[in-house]
Amino acid sequence: MPWVRNSWPRLISLQPEGVARGCPLPTKMAQSTKKKNMSAVTITRSTGYIGDAASSEATWDRPAGLAHQAPALETECLSRSIAERILVSDISVQVQLGEVLAVVGPSGAGKSSFLRLLNRLDEPTGGTVRLNGQDYRELAPRELRRRVGMVMQAAYLFPGTVAANVAFGPAQCGERLAPEQIAILLQRVGLPGYQERDVSNLSGGEAQRVSIVRTLANAPEALLLDEPTSALDDISARGIEDLVLSIIHERRMTCVIVTHNTAQAHRIADRTMILEAGKLVTIGLTKEVLRDC
Amino acid sequence: MIAELLNSLNGDIVMGLAQAAGAIALCAAVVLLCGRFAVHVERETAISVARGLVQMVFVGMVLAVLLHGNLLEGALILLAMTFAAAVTASRRARDIKGSLPLSFYAIAAGAGIVIAGMLATRALTSDIAVLVPVGSMIIANAMNACAQSIERFRADIIAYVGQIEAGLTLGADPAVTVAPYVQSAVYASLLPRLDMLKSLGLVWIPGVMAGMMVSGASPVYAGIYQFVIVAMILAASGIAGLIVTLLMRAHAFSAAAQLTLRPGEQHQPPLYRLAQSMPRAS
Repeated sequence: MPWVRNSWPRLISLQPEGVARGCPLPTKMAQSTKKKNMSAVTITRSTGYIGDAASSEATWDRPAGLAHQAPALETECLSRSIAERILVSDISVQVQLGEVLAVVGPSGAGKSSFLRLLNRLDEPTGGTVRLNGQDYRELAPRELRRRVGMVMQAAYLFPGTVAANVAFGPAQCGERLAPEQIAILLQRVGLPGYQERDVSNLSGGEAQRVSIVRTLANAPEALLLDEPTSALDDISARGIEDLVLSIIHERRMTCVIVTHNTAQAHRIADRTMILEAGKLVTIGLTKEVLRDC
Repeated sequence: MIAELLNSLNGDIVMGLAQAAGAIALCAAVVLLCGRFAVHVERETAISVARGLVQMVFVGMVLAVLLHGNLLEGALILLAMTFAAAVTASRRARDIKGSLPLSFYAIAAGAGIVIAGMLATRALTSDIAVLVPVGSMIIANAMNACAQSIERFRADIIAYVGQIEAGLTLGADPAVTVAPYVQSAVYASLLPRLDMLKSLGLVWIPGVMAGMMVSGASPVYAGIYQFVIVAMILAASGIAGLIVTLLMRAHAFSAAAQLTLRPGEQHQPPLYRLAQSMPRAS
């Protein structure tokens, strides 16, 4: 099994028992999961993730030959312009394995454009992106997108059942999700028994949960979130936020989230970068970058 | 050649022009009526009517000259018609890069295969007086199917950018992400032709059949032959619609499987770009 891509057994570990095996959780999520009668490991954000680190690394199957410090996701002078309009200008950032990076900035700052470049939905006009040290242009776009999952602002579900949506990604590379696997995934995102529901009957929050689980069904290494809660009410938004946090820490995924909500960035992100007019203004620990927000 | 042209200019021309004037008057009345309901098509109708009349007179003169031409001359006329059809169809997608060659390939393939098949099976003779009118009907319908496919596919892609890109982010092949829109585009182009075939003889008796009966052919044979023509029109339309949609699908994505046909990012023709770049009076 290639180390760079999670295997189906890891996908199954999305179920609550995975938490008990030492996968890291942030404090808030640890508390919330305790409420759900799940065992948890308490950590503090200042010290990063604690717990059984050795077993966590072991399940990740990192090959000995690869530099341990290679950033999971790295942009190198990343730029994109259309005609004479600059969308993203010369951005170089590194995101470490298991880290959550928030991208904030005013409307039109290039946040979504930056995220689209990470998924190669758009082509950079300058610079590149490295995934675990490898230039992403060396990867087939379809493989890259399976490894770097993206959740969009709107759910954009395909017509049909929830189960069909969840099974879509794996089916694209010839893998078939068993009904039990779909059931476990849906249970993990708080939608038990939703398999046969038609997507047209879902609420906004439910649809976004299906969108998230549909992306996770591909077992991506990194998760890109483009304002996933901006179209939702506060309660649904916090539910999605908690869900995303628990999953990315549980699976130790690298995450880049675009948000216009600085409070959300405070709650979610280890580090935050601020964009303005396509340019990187500042990047650092969230509590420092957004100190006055 | 000149003598053949002069021979064709007989008294029927005056009568034909009078009939054309009557038809134009009726069209003008309809346009005025539309105007009362704020549907303003005056300019477009005037251009269309003028173009239609001039073009038909010109074609009549060309046919008068080439009435006894050979197959090569007939093929050249049909080729010119195919090009004109491609120009017309591609106007529906002038913001898509390469829409003219796409349309040309599709119409040429659809009409070409069908006309060649009809010639091979002797359903059509190489006589220009038969080949060009029948061929033009097939080309015109292939053009309509082509334009309808282009328009439907383009509209669907732009309307469903989110779903398509969601599919791409999940690792789907571009062809998979637009498969529903390919189907609907081809279906939309075939639907009018299918309705035409269904209503044949019940709702309308096409001109070919009427002409054959006037010239003394058996009504039954004329009916069967008319069916052959309409069936061939359906085949040509299907081929043209399918090919142009598949070619557009290929053009809608980059080599890195990125959707390039997105709202606000369409290709603009060189003349449009030039016009945009020119200084404007304040």
